[in-house]
Amino acid sequence: MTGMSAVPARPDSSATGRLSRRQMNGLLVAALAGALAACGPSINGDSGSGGAAKTDLLKAPTGDPSGEIVIWDRSGDLFKVFKAAIPAFNQKYPNIKVRHEAVDIDAKLQNTLITGTDVPDGVFLDDAKVGGFSEYLWDLKDVLKPYLPDIAPQKVAVSSLGGGIYGVPYDLDPGLLFYNEKALKAAGVDVEAIETYDDLLAAARKYQEYRPGSGPIHLEQSAFLGQLQLEMFAGQLGTALAGGDGQLQLDSPAYTKILTWLDTVSKEKLGTRAEYLTPGDVGALESGDQVFYPWAIWFSYAPQQQLPKTSGDWRAMPLPAWEPGGARSGAMGGSSFVLPKAGANSGLAWLFYEFLMFDEAGYEAVWGPNDVYPQGLNTSIPSYRPAANPDKPLFKPLEALGGQDLWATATAAGLQIPAGAAIPAWWSGAVDYLGNDLQRMLDGDLTPAQVIDQAGPDIQKNLIDRS
Amino acid sequence: MTLAPATRAAPAPAPPPPKARRAAHLRRRLAPYVFVAPFIALFAAFSIYPMLFTLRLSFTDWRGSGTAQWVGWGNYTYLLGSEAFWSSLGNSAMLWLLVVPVQMVLALLIAVCLNNAKLRLRGVYRVSYLVPFVTPLVAVAQIWVVLFDQDYGAVNQILSVVGLPDVGWLTTTTWAKPTLALLFIWKTTGFIVVILLSGLQSLDETLYEAAEIDGAGTLRKLWSLTVPLIRRTLAFAGVMQTLAVFQMFAEPFVVTQGGPYNSTTTAGFLLYKHINQADLGTGAANSFLLVVVVMLLSLLFVRLLRSED
Repeated sequence: MTGMSAVPARPDSSATGRLSRRQMNGLLVAALAGALAACGPSINGDSGSGGAAKTDLLKAPTGDPSGEIVIWDRSGDLFKVFKAAIPAFNQKYPNIKVRHEAVDIDAKLQNTLITGTDVPDGVFLDDAKVGGFSEYLWDLKDVLKPYLPDIAPQKVAVSSLGGGIYGVPYDLDPGLLFYNEKALKAAGVDVEAIETYDDLLAAARKYQEYRPGSGPIHLEQSAFLGQLQLEMFAGQLGTALAGGDGQLQLDSPAYTKILTWLDTVSKEKLGTRAEYLTPGDVGALESGDQVFYPWAIWFSYAPQQQLPKTSGDWRAMPLPAWEPGGARSGAMGGSSFVLPKAGANSGLAWLFYEFLMFDEAGYEAVWGPNDVYPQGLNTSIPSYRPAANPDKPLFKPLEALGGQDLWATATAAGLQIPAGAAIPAWWSGAVDYLGNDLQRMLDGDLTPAQVIDQAGPDIQKNLIDRS
Repeated sequence: MTLAPATRAAPAPAPPPPKARRAAHLRRRLAPYVFVAPFIALFAAFSIYPMLFTLRLSFTDWRGSGTAQWVGWGNYTYLLGSEAFWSSLGNSAMLWLLVVPVQMVLALLIAVCLNNAKLRLRGVYRVSYLVPFVTPLVAVAQIWVVLFDQDYGAVNQILSVVGLPDVGWLTTTTWAKPTLALLFIWKTTGFIVVILLSGLQSLDETLYEAAEIDGAGTLRKLWSLTVPLIRRTLAFAGVMQTLAVFQMFAEPFVVTQGGPYNSTTTAGFLLYKHINQADLGTGAANSFLLVVVVMLLSLLFVRLLRSED
């Protein structure tokens, strides 16, 4: 049988008009490549629309401002406080309608800014997150200019990046030393004598002698809050995890000093290891095992709401200093208002925040007694110094602090907070390294030097070098 | 007798003109595509596009703003050399070991009991086992946090009654994973029971009667009849739980925040952390590596099932 093959010949695709498997694969790859090129953000060299616009300075509106603004706030009591302040704003600006929305900002803001869809005009945002979104935000340097000399320097610093200011400073959260006066008095501990952290150690030792088995000083067990508290201590010494140039400053005498102190509290078993206001923490506070709580002013919420048994026994004083005569407070946490460039009426939103923060009627509406907080909002103080006037309290003395005038204590402490630096976008990522290593140290697995030697390079390699 | 007149054959209808024939042929060819078009459109918009978007993203350093830089395989090589990535996979693997074998055995035993026609209040039991599955996780997780609190939790209180020391269930690297696994088992076993029950109810009763005649006891019937007969259902449940464990996010997010010391940072939770820190390129690469791992594990299950066949 000549001219015939036992194996049927593969059909010639060119003859049949059908595509061979190889051609099909080629087409699929080409289609995938094409689809890939069309999906995703614009990559360097593309002409897509993924890039953010250049930084712009916001200009305040002139004339008779009118229009509607969309304001995002976190849900909860604070949302109600800002909502209650809107009528006061409308007395001054009757033609600006405020659409006030309670939003899970952490979950929604990033996507909203990236897609540019339904972007609000103003957003309440943690200070630690402002830097990360700066490319999408108005630079508020011009509009804030008249107020800058009177705003707490630390608050201006945390929102500053590359010469711009990206947040309207909201609250100042000075660190204070909360203590159980009744328990300490019974133990014969003189709180007035605590001026430095060494004094605090001595007081804790004395209390432990009186109450064996107690852990007088709070040692935070959450990696995130532990790092936040560490930054409060560092702020007292005028330093922060990142300097103004964004460089890591962990390997420094200041951090060595703080970590060594915390290590001493841990090693001498002078602390209670617990997460902030979890059942174990509350139990130790209520039982009198834990009597010193170096924390931000917002701990004042605990004796008011969480500590019914010891409510009224607690007091607040400025933090001890690291050296005699040193600063008696540092900031812990805080928030600002940011204005996205893609917002339709950012200028009007600026007027809203300008009113709330810098106009007497505004900040009285926020911090003063209202339906939500009949005694006033006493978990923070204004960052605008004319509003944080020690002689003109916005909130009333606290029964949960035995009638103490927390306003006077907090505003005096606020004046002592040294200027800081911008909080880098990678700050919360550092919790995986510094926050965790700090906890390991408190568990006795690392020394202060090892924390610095380990966390520093990890942050540099995994966060700074990749940002 | 009358004869019906012979029926005349109807004249054959005239063939449609070639143009109409072509149109009808085209309609017939297109109809299936038109029917599936809505699904394809939705699938393309909400699955294919995001997947391609993520794939492209994984080769960039995009952080959600500005122009992305093409970094090639940089994100993948970073992750493959990163301790955090391998540690998260290790955590997920350990959770898988703690969850899936235990859960399969437990769910099988419960399903067999619930399948027994003589059991009274079967409906009540079936609903009870499903209740944890339909209860919102956040509520369950909060209960877990309170129950397992080291100083004031009910679990340690009970242990102290019998003279055992307090255990840091959620605060020590030794116990955080088993505690989380226990939560996962408690929450999802009801769902697996339902799957296995559906398999058990399709079995032929006569096989069991024959086995009884041959003298097989309860355990023998379970091991030699039930398990082989529902092995496909078991494998399906195993694949489902493997996927769930490797994508586990909400449990560590609510209960431990991935701690202590990242010991409960699962593969799914690490992915979230990248995204949350606006490290979108690395997050996208992480998600694709996770897809590969989950696919390999699923294939392994399927292969094991085939080898049984």
